[in-house]
Amino acid sequence: MNDSSEIIISVRDLKTGYGEKVILQNVSFQVRRGEVFVILGGSGCGKSTLLKNLIGLYTPMEGQVWIDGGNLVAAGEVERLVLLRKFGVMYQSGALFGSMTLLENVRLPLDEFTALPDPVKELVALAKLKLVGLGAAAQKMPSELSGGMQKRAAIARAMALDPQILFLDEPSAGLDPVTSAGLDLLIKELAHHFGITFVVVSHELASIYTIADRVIMLDSRTRTVIAEGRPAELRESATDPWVRRFFNREAESVQSDHPNQNL
Amino acid sequence: MTATVQNELETDVQVSLDGCARVALRGRLDSHATVACWKLLEQKLRPAKIKALEVDASGLQFCDGAGLALLRYLNMGRMTRGATVSVLGLEEELEKLFRGFTLEDYEAFRPPLRTESRSLPEEVGKEVSQLTADLREQVGFLGTIVANLPPTILDRKRMRWPEVRRVLELAGANAVPIVSLVSILVGLIIAFESAQPLAQFGAQIYVANMIGLVMVRELGPLLAAILLAGRSGSAFAAEIGTMKVNEELNALETLGLDPIRFLVVQRITAGVLLTPLLTFYATFMGVLGGVLVTLGLGYPLSLVFHQLSSSLQLSDVVFGATKGVVFGAIVSAVGCLRGLQTQQGPSAVGISTTRAVVTSILLIIIADAVFSVLFFVLKQ
Repeated sequence: MNDSSEIIISVRDLKTGYGEKVILQNVSFQVRRGEVFVILGGSGCGKSTLLKNLIGLYTPMEGQVWIDGGNLVAAGEVERLVLLRKFGVMYQSGALFGSMTLLENVRLPLDEFTALPDPVKELVALAKLKLVGLGAAAQKMPSELSGGMQKRAAIARAMALDPQILFLDEPSAGLDPVTSAGLDLLIKELAHHFGITFVVVSHELASIYTIADRVIMLDSRTRTVIAEGRPAELRESATDPWVRRFFNREAESVQSDHPNQNL
Repeated sequence: MTATVQNELETDVQVSLDGCARVALRGRLDSHATVACWKLLEQKLRPAKIKALEVDASGLQFCDGAGLALLRYLNMGRMTRGATVSVLGLEEELEKLFRGFTLEDYEAFRPPLRTESRSLPEEVGKEVSQLTADLREQVGFLGTIVANLPPTILDRKRMRWPEVRRVLELAGANAVPIVSLVSILVGLIIAFESAQPLAQFGAQIYVANMIGLVMVRELGPLLAAILLAGRSGSAFAAEIGTMKVNEELNALETLGLDPIRFLVVQRITAGVLLTPLLTFYATFMGVLGGVLVTLGLGYPLSLVFHQLSSSLQLSDVVFGATKGVVFGAIVSAVGCLRGLQTQQGPSAVGISTTRAVVTSILLIIIADAVFSVLFFVLKQ
């Protein structure tokens, strides 16, 4: 359906951090249209920070973030809004608005950004909820749902405006393996049927092998990308021992002074 | 009838006289085009008496969620009451998506019609039962505190005096600037306002007597307590409320630590120790404000001091301090109770802090009224 070689996100020489402290530098990678792209790495290596740069919550110290042909870092206010409409974000905790029902949560972007008539908005919102398997819970409040359901509802809200890209922050964190696998399946389906490009931050090996077309791996010691490729390839042939260990899930003592621990 | 909608979408609408209609869509049916298309169809289809509608979607190159919703809406016959509607020619992928959300789904998932609002007696009954339940809870809480206070205070290990010191600093020492400002201004204002009518009787010097009595017996304790409620009662409720939302209170209980003993007793002790001091300070600053006005009116300091000391008795000062102790206990206890009562959800902590301040001030005023009657009876 889509030209798989087309680049939709391009990050060039990104350098980011908090205050004076540099978390990541020299980060460059490209995401192709329609693929599931996973950003992974150990705890504290800057995965979430990188994601916040990609979605425009943080401005990088240096470098550029291109999304579908527009530079998010240098964009003016109007262009920025156009770029923001191209993607949806699912936050780690779901970040559903607690005072609204699921239906109202999913309707909110439609109410704010489209002039669609009410019945159509309602139909769109219900259809998105059904897509993530939550049609019957449309009238429930977020607090009445389990963690996995909240995350699915958050995906439905992120999809309300039919974005081309979905950013997911740790979709499987805090979920049981069955629920987590269900979410992986949903991601695969959405990517396949709708041609949505997924950028997923994760460190769940099982889910990475299921969903990822390509991954990049961040490292807190070198503060940059240490591996890029297909997960199965990296497991077999990564040169960096830490990467191979990660993909083969080899344990290491918490106390050991491993270079990848950024304490 | 034929019409075209801009925005890269062509919409042909044909309505024949026998009640058959045909809509042909060509191009991109995205959320912008859907808005325009909807308007056009509303105009053409809604007023016409249509028995059968055929939607030809074979010319669609692109259709997003909004477009599919429009097709589903047409298909459900919502725009053409009583007509049979068929949507034809959707591309395979789109057809699959279109079938993914059906009329049955809509009927099952859509919001229920609004239930009727409750009747007045029902509403009143509910409020009264809530009020009595709240009152019962407050009395129960009072009992728990009274039962827990002495054993905890006497047990040095459990009392956590550093926590008491922290609260004393936050709620007491840090409140000094605002208490100073408010009290001195209130003293100034009252003295200034009363000096004018008293001048008509040549009795301006009695401003000093009045400000002394009012500040020591009434306003000093009230100002201190109300500021404490606004600054610290709300903070107690927010602090304990956030702990409850974060399940920290549950953690305390499973560690075998009673939240009343661990959190509430310290705050009430601090509140009770602190409020008389704040009361004295507020009284002093208020009187100072009044004295400044009388000095400004031209009376010498010695005369003003004489008037003040002649109008006040030790019992007045003791009375003010007693009020301070009671008000302090009320504010800190209510703050803690509201914090412990916090429900789940994003607005819960906000509701708790509001309730803490409102209940505190209400109870302070009621207690003040009781004190006035008591004082009157005791003086007899």
